[in-house]
Amino acid sequence: MTTELLSYSIIPLLSALAIPFLGRTNRKISEIIANVTLLAGLANLAYIIFHPMNRNSDYAVFSFDGLTITMLFTIYMVALCCVFFASASHMVKAEKNAFYPLIMISVSAMSSMVLARDYFTLYIFMEALAVTSFSLIAGEEGKGGIEGAIKYILLTFPASALILIGIAIMLMSGGTINFDMINSSPSTGNLAALAFITLGFAIKAGLFPFHFWTPDAYQGAPSAVSAYLAGVVTKISGIYALVKICMTIRLFGEPAKPVAFALLLAGVLTLIFGAIAALMQKDMKRMLAFSSISQMGYIAAGAATLTPVGIIGAILHIFNHATFKTSLFLNSAAIEKSAGTTDMRKMGGLEKNMPYTSWTSIIALFSTAGVPPLSGFWSKLLIIVALWVSGFKLAAVLALVFSILTLAYFMMMQKKVFFGKPREELKDVREASAYMLAPAFLMSLIIVLSGIFFPYVFEFLGKTL
Amino acid sequence: MDPVSLLKAVVFLPLIGALAIPLVAGISKEVRNAFSVTVGILTFVCAVLLVPSGVMGNPVYLNIDFPLGFNFSISADSLSVFMAAVSSFVSMIILIYSVDYISHYENQTEYYSMVVLFLGSMMGLVFTKNLIWLYGFWELTGFASWRLVGFFRSDKDVAKANKTILVTVFGALLMFLGILIVYFEKGTLDMNQLRGSQISLLAASLILAGIFSKSATLPFSTWLPDAGVAPSTVTSLLHAAVLVKIGVYAYARLFGTVFVAPQAFSYAVMAIAGLSAIISAGAALIETDIKRIIAYSTVSQLAFIFLGLASGNQTAFSGALLYIMMHSVAKGGLFLCAGIIEQKTHTKDIMRMGGLYKTMPVTGLSFALCSLSVMGIPPFGGFFSKFMVFKGAVESGNILILSLFTLGAIMTLLYLSRLFYLVFLGEYKGGAQAPCEGSPSMVASVSFLAVCGIILGILVSYPFNYAVLISKQLGVNLQ
Repeated sequence: MTTELLSYSIIPLLSALAIPFLGRTNRKISEIIANVTLLAGLANLAYIIFHPMNRNSDYAVFSFDGLTITMLFTIYMVALCCVFFASASHMVKAEKNAFYPLIMISVSAMSSMVLARDYFTLYIFMEALAVTSFSLIAGEEGKGGIEGAIKYILLTFPASALILIGIAIMLMSGGTINFDMINSSPSTGNLAALAFITLGFAIKAGLFPFHFWTPDAYQGAPSAVSAYLAGVVTKISGIYALVKICMTIRLFGEPAKPVAFALLLAGVLTLIFGAIAALMQKDMKRMLAFSSISQMGYIAAGAATLTPVGIIGAILHIFNHATFKTSLFLNSAAIEKSAGTTDMRKMGGLEKNMPYTSWTSIIALFSTAGVPPLSGFWSKLLIIVALWVSGFKLAAVLALVFSILTLAYFMMMQKKVFFGKPREELKDVREASAYMLAPAFLMSLIIVLSGIFFPYVFEFLGKTL
Repeated sequence: MDPVSLLKAVVFLPLIGALAIPLVAGISKEVRNAFSVTVGILTFVCAVLLVPSGVMGNPVYLNIDFPLGFNFSISADSLSVFMAAVSSFVSMIILIYSVDYISHYENQTEYYSMVVLFLGSMMGLVFTKNLIWLYGFWELTGFASWRLVGFFRSDKDVAKANKTILVTVFGALLMFLGILIVYFEKGTLDMNQLRGSQISLLAASLILAGIFSKSATLPFSTWLPDAGVAPSTVTSLLHAAVLVKIGVYAYARLFGTVFVAPQAFSYAVMAIAGLSAIISAGAALIETDIKRIIAYSTVSQLAFIFLGLASGNQTAFSGALLYIMMHSVAKGGLFLCAGIIEQKTHTKDIMRMGGLYKTMPVTGLSFALCSLSVMGIPPFGGFFSKFMVFKGAVESGNILILSLFTLGAIMTLLYLSRLFYLVFLGEYKGGAQAPCEGSPSMVASVSFLAVCGIILGILVSYPFNYAVLISKQLGVNLQ
């Protein structure tokens, strides 16, 4: 592991240990510790990224790459928003002294995954993350939380097995599992090992045809947790590793093409399937879950082109997906609290009473659908450009055409939930509190700003990868 | 102000103004209305002040570098300034008219922000010289019109709003694909660098699909009559007079001044436009809803503009540019008349009107004058533009297409006469008491537009010379 950023994985762990003791008498204290830890981490990361001296020297004093720090930033950002929302909304029924430490441990596990520099470390923390996610999904009684959790854990076993097989092959053929050394030894053994690992992480990422656990897991979990899971947890435990592998196998040259092609095929099928399935949903959270699946397809397809533009597009899309999907899930949670349901057939005209929730949703969903100049447009554009120039013209056209479907299902959602005449029985619905809105506002701001200042974002990734 | 700051102002003033309106609305309603109207007027003034720099043939240029050639570059050449002046003029009128018109509806703040955002993205669209930003602003106008069509929030309105945005965004995505093909073939998105380059039939057709969907030409025409009926008159005017011109502008810009499309492509455009003209004119002949008739008439008139632009000679091209101007003014007048009539009779069904000329003489007269301009009767502005388009089309010499359009022109004459007859002449069929004239400010704006039609006809030499100048300065592949 890189040691210079290690504090980002150790401090949440310490705070996870501290919360049960310090918050024993007053539950408020556990909320405060969790929020402060994450906020401090985020501020710290922002300081590293935006400090003029670091920017001007192209981060030469650090050994991390742009992927690592972008992912750390994403993890802390989403975790902070979700924890803040959870403490502001009082929607989490589970024991607070269990809930916040769990989140902290999963933040620590994710940071360690991102900081890992060999496949075994990556694997260990992936498992740690899976255990915490399992507990978080099952945290709320009833509501299918257990079902989602069990589906999640059952799929994790074959995935872990495949990854372990891959690591074993790696050790047998080359004797090393270090990222850098694998990068520089493109042997057949390593490629076979990476193929197994890719398959394992494709299952974890919920790519087609291994997608079926995600909607249940997201729908069953408490809303703040589903935002956390959809926004970052399943992305780090699955798609991040896939992008990382793609960055490795692109150094292998021609022999890696079949693996990449399989991933690309899975990605394109995922984006098609996710969009079509989302179109048919009646429940807001389920629709968001399928939309999330579809976006994973874009990321996988972009990374699988093995071109710099495609990989930058994929990384950007992970970041963008974290912003818009967190915003949308948190808004659906706010609606669930105010209107008492996430069934879209029972809603309508909520915009009149919940204008801020509605407008932050609009920004997020237009970013998802790739409407310029929001950030989602640029990452999708990069992915489509990468697909086209690497010769997968049909895939590029499909990716483009299915963004109209993305827009279509979100238009349906907006129509059923917010737009339209207010319904009689929802007349007294109140806007969420300012604290609950704050995370969605922050996300909307990031979506708009990173869209408008896209050159800087692109330059940052281009220079540091 | 120097031209560069004017250029910045004309694009960013309405864009930032649109975001500021919700904040300003916090102060008071009056301040918000005044602010929106001021933004509209200032945008128009800036656009007009840019005319000299456009005429000089030495356009001001502003460029902000973006990676991979997605540079944000805007420049004020004669065509951009022309379109900006025309569309900001109509938008300004709409904003002034709105202050009265929508004062008793809900969601006014959203309405003003969206109209101003629309104006801003329209300005961005006409001034940008980069295809990717053309697409970006294109989608932004679609977003604004989505909110505006769904303004009344009933299920029907929202369904129509969704239809509008899905049709136009579908077209826009096809266009985007075309743009990407150009990007991969030529390696640049900058229109100045692309000027005069040949593009493949596939890319041209994809871009054309986007243009047709925005300007409501067959087979994408269905959203305009829907969008024109559901929401308020002001909104339908915004769509019929301004939004559809985006497609026409893009055609003039891309295929008139940037790309050289294959010959077959131009013929196909003319043929599709011809069919569009005939079919929508036929629909206008049998419709009984006054706004639908006017909306179908828009679809039909747009086809004439496409004929002029696609004919490939200078006369027709400048005629088409003139047509854009004349049509905006005359169609604006017709829509606002229809708005007054609808407000007073509480119906849109022309079978339940009749004899309104007696009680609404000013509206009736303005309606007649605007109709005459759309029909193309001298000395109205519409005559000159239609005449030039036909003259140019004769020179290019395709008899079949020409006869299609002559038929279309005759049908225009028929459906507008029928409309005028059923609404204003004969006996009132809507009840015992015929309605009275509209409010002074509304009638004033209608008669203002009608008079504009005559003035533009009499002083046609100025816009005419300007249109010819544009086609000389910028035209590519024109005879």
